[in-house]
Amino acid sequence: MGLVPWYDGRDGMYGWIWRHLPGSTWVRALISLALVVAVVYVLFQYVFPWAEPLLPFNDVTVDNQ
Amino acid sequence: MAATTDTDHEEHTGAAASRPSAARRRPGPIAMAVSVFGELLITAGLVLGLFVAYSLWWTNVVADRAAGKQADQVRDDWAHGRGGPGALDTKNGIGFLHVPAMRNDEVLVEKGTSNKILNDGVAGYYTDPVKSALPMSGKAGNFSLAAHRDGHGAAFHNIDKIEKGDPIVFETKDKWYVYKVYGILPETSKYNVKVLSAVPKESGKKKPGHYITLTTCTPVYTSTYRYIVWGELERVEKVDADRTPPEELR
Repeated sequence: MGLVPWYDGRDGMYGWIWRHLPGSTWVRALISLALVVAVVYVLFQYVFPWAEPLLPFNDVTVDNQ
Repeated sequence: MAATTDTDHEEHTGAAASRPSAARRRPGPIAMAVSVFGELLITAGLVLGLFVAYSLWWTNVVADRAAGKQADQVRDDWAHGRGGPGALDTKNGIGFLHVPAMRNDEVLVEKGTSNKILNDGVAGYYTDPVKSALPMSGKAGNFSLAAHRDGHGAAFHNIDKIEKGDPIVFETKDKWYVYKVYGILPETSKYNVKVLSAVPKESGKKKPGHYITLTTCTPVYTSTYRYIVWGELERVEKVDADRTPPEELR
C-alpha cells in the first residue's frame, strides 16, 4: 500500500468528492480548501446565528416566560 | 460510474497505476455506508467545534466592532451638542457604564434587552417585564441592566469580580452617576423578576431610592441561573469641560 496515495482506495463522501474534483492534486487541494472556506462562511454567517437563540447558552435577562 | 473512477485513477495517481488491484477495488455497500456514517460523525464534531469558536470568539469580534461604532456615534453626538439635555434621546444609547471591578472598558447602554440589542456588545436597560427607571429622570426607582456574560462582547463577563462597596459609574452627556454596590445575589432563578423591582426587597432595601441592578447569566458559558448585582446612588457629579471622570475611575 506504500505506493498508493492516501486518497486512493478511500470511500465515503469526502473520497467521492475528491474523486469528482477536476485537475491535478494541487488543483483539487485548492478547490477543497475553497469549499471548506465556503462551508465555514455559510455556518458563521447564516447557520450559527440562526441556531444560537434556539440553544440555552446565552440568555441573560430575567423574565417571566 | 466505475469506468469514470478507473480513468480518474489512471490519470492522477501515477504510481498507483502500476498496482491496479489495490486502488481499483470497489468497496462493498456496507463498507461504503460505514465510511459515510463515520465521516458524518467527524463532520458533526467539527461543526460543534466551530460553533464553540463562533460563540466564544467570533461573536465577540462582531459585537466589539458594532459596540465601538455605536459608542463613537454617541460620543460624537455629545461632542456636537446633539441629543437633548439629560440625553433623553434614547435611539443610539443613553450613556456609558464604568465598572472598574470588571476591568473592562466602558460599556454603552442602550434601550431594551432583546438579543438584537445585546448582541451588539452593549448593555441594555429593561423595558420588559419591569420597566427600568432611568437615572436622568431624577425619580426614585431601579435602573436595571442586562448584558452578555460570554460571547457577543461579554460586557458583564467579570461580574463575579464585583464586591460590596465597589463603585459603578454611569456616564451621561452631562452627569456622572456614582453608585456603590451593596448587594450581590450570585445565583437566582431566571424567572425571578422581583430583582428588578423599584425597591428590590431581596437586596435588603425597604424604602424607595435610586438603585441600579446588573443582571447576567451564570455560571459562565451557560444560562442556568442569573447573577444579580445591586447598587445605590451615592452622588451625582456634573460633567466638566474636559469630562474629568469622578475619583472612582481615576
